[in-house]
Formats: sequence, C-alpha cells, structure tokens
Amino acid sequence: MTEDKIKNLLQEADRMAGLPGPVSANLSAIVRRRAHRRHLRIRLTATLAAAAVVLIAAGIWNLMIKTTEQTKDQEKIVLLEKQFEQLRAKTDAAVNLIQEMLVAEQKQHSLNELEAQLASIPDPLEVIQKQVDKTASILVYQADRLYRVKRTDSAVETYNRVIELFPRTIHAQKARQRLLEIESRKFNKIDSKGELKWKPQIVSLSC
Amino acid sequence: MVMAETIDDEHIVEQFNRGDESAFDRIVEHYSSDIAALAGRLLGWSGEVEDVTQDIFLAAFLGLKKFRCDCSLRTWLFTITINKCRSYRYKRMLRRRRISQVADQAIDASAGTADKKSMDNETFDRIRRAIQALPVKYREAVVLRYLQELEAEEISRILGISKNALQVRLNRARARLRDELGELTEEKL
Repeated sequence: MTEDKIKNLLQEADRMAGLPGPVSANLSAIVRRRAHRRHLRIRLTATLAAAAVVLIAAGIWNLMIKTTEQTKDQEKIVLLEKQFEQLRAKTDAAVNLIQEMLVAEQKQHSLNELEAQLASIPDPLEVIQKQVDKTASILVYQADRLYRVKRTDSAVETYNRVIELFPRTIHAQKARQRLLEIESRKFNKIDSKGELKWKPQIVSLSC
Repeated sequence: MVMAETIDDEHIVEQFNRGDESAFDRIVEHYSSDIAALAGRLLGWSGEVEDVTQDIFLAAFLGLKKFRCDCSLRTWLFTITINKCRSYRYKRMLRRRRISQVADQAIDASAGTADKKSMDNETFDRIRRAIQALPVKYREAVVLRYLQELEAEEISRILGISKNALQVRLNRARARLRDELGELTEEKL
C-alpha cells in the first residue's frame, strides 16, 4: 500500500466522521471568564496559602514560646526543688542540733540531780572522823575518870591507847598533856633521898 | 504566505500584550476550527472536543504574553493542542479503567448489530480505531501529516523532533496500519 493510498483512506474516514461541531461563538468570552476565574482562584489560593503559612508560623512561634516558657518553668521548678532540699537539710540539721541540745540538757539535769542526791548523802569520812573523835573523846573521858578514882595505871594505859589509836587528834594531845601532868605529879612525889617513888612507864609517843 | 502569517501573528500578540483582549477574539476566530479539528482527530473523533478546545485556548490566553514569535502562532497553538490532547487522553484512559468491562462489551455488541446500511460507517470506524490504536507518537505524526496536511518542517517543530525522526515514525505508522487494515485496503482496491 502506497503512502497516497493510506492518506486517501485516512482522509476518507476522517470526512465520514465529520468535522467536530461548530465551536461556540463566544468561545473567547468563555476562555476569558475561565482565565479570570483562574486568576481569582490562584490569588485566593495564594492568599489562603499565605494565611496558612502565617498561621502555621504563628503556631510554631506559640509552640516555641510555650516550650521556652515550659523550659523556664521547669528550670524554676528545679531551682525551687533545690532550694527546698537545702532548706530541708538545714531544718534537719537544726532539729538534730536541738535534739542533741535537749539530750545534753537532760543529761546535765540528771547529773545535777545526782549531784544533789550525792550532796544530801553525808561524807562517810566525816562520819568516821566524828566517830573517831567521839571514840577518842570517850576514851579520854574514861581515862580521866579512871585517874580521878585513883586508877592511875588504867588511866595511863587508856591515855596511851588514845595516843596510839588516834595520834593526830586533839584528843591525843589531851592524852599526852594528861600523861605529862601525871608525870609531873609523880615527880613531885620524889622522896627525901631524891629517888622517885613511882617510875613513869615508858610511853611511846609516836606522833 | 507563512511570512505574512508570522507578521500578522506578531501584530496580534503585540496588541494582546498591550491589553487589547479583542486580539484574542481574533485568534480564537481564526484558529478555533483548525484547533478543534486537530483535537477531534487526536482524541479519536470522540465528541469531547469542546472542553479540550476551551482548555487549549485557556492555556493560550494564559501563555500568550510569553509567546516570543519564534514560530508561527498556528504552530504554537498546535503544540499546545498536542500536549493538551496527550494529557486529556491519559486522563480519559484512567477514567475508562474504572468503567467495568461489561459496559465495553455492550458497546461492542451494539456495534456488531449494525445493519448493512451502516457497513461503510463500520469500515471507517475500523480505520479510525486503527489510527487510535497507534502509539501516541505515531498517531500524532499521522494525524498532522495526513489529516491536517501540515508540512514536515512544521510537524517537526510541533512535535520537537527532526525530519528524519518524523519520517521514521510515519513509515512505522504506515506499516502498522497496513497490518491492521490489509484486508480492508484490498477490498477497497
């Protein structure tokens, strides 16, 4: 089949199909209207897009501000928590100190009470000393009585016992003085030959 | 002829760029029938020309300020037509995929029941279907060359291919048509 034959066949088929219907008389007006509508649509879309962009930007900005505020709030919270922890630590330390002071004060109070109780208890040394004094005094008194009833030997023996048992007491001095007096009286009873009738016993004066 | 048309095109475009929208009216008046015919042929004589023609002239209206008169206004409009028809056919193909095959079969059955009076119509329908069955690059070359009867140079500009490439496409298109319409052409001959 040659090119011309194909061309004729195709053109015949095209003619049989007929030309497309007449184009609308106001095609240009329709196209212009569509173009204007399209312009309007594009402008509206651009405006809406710009508004959307602005809104999104505002949203992002708000979100960022909120995030920043949240960060600041979180920092404040952390700072407050730290301060709270510090205050709590200080309070705990103060409470511990007060408790220690109270315990110490209680101990001191108990100690004072014990000291008071101890103070109320008489000193056994003093008691013993008093008893010693009393005993020595009684012995001296007994020796004096023996000497008065002319039991000079017993008296001397008692005086010596006082000197021996309670050497550093006033009663020991009294006993020594009594012995000296007895010695002196015996000395005064020397006979005419110049010899003593009564020989003083050897008294240990262990002071 | 071509030179005078080009000068006239430049004048019309200049008027349009100055804000005279009546220039566009003259363009529509002058080229609308050719554009509609080409669109109809490219779309398979399907009667959907009106909408496509509007779309083509809308694209021309929006893009006319960018037209630099490197080629004739007709060539430029035909290029727009080719592109619009390609996208329109693609959209139509997507639409048709959604339609059930039952509907297609019904259409085929009704075509088969045509009486003898319409035998010629059936024959030419077959020819037109053969054209439509060609791959798009062959179909465009065939339509522009044999139905629009444009010169090879103008077709090359419209399709953006060399003359050799155009010739190759035409040869291949003819070979396919021979395969498709062989019996028919023998009868005719």
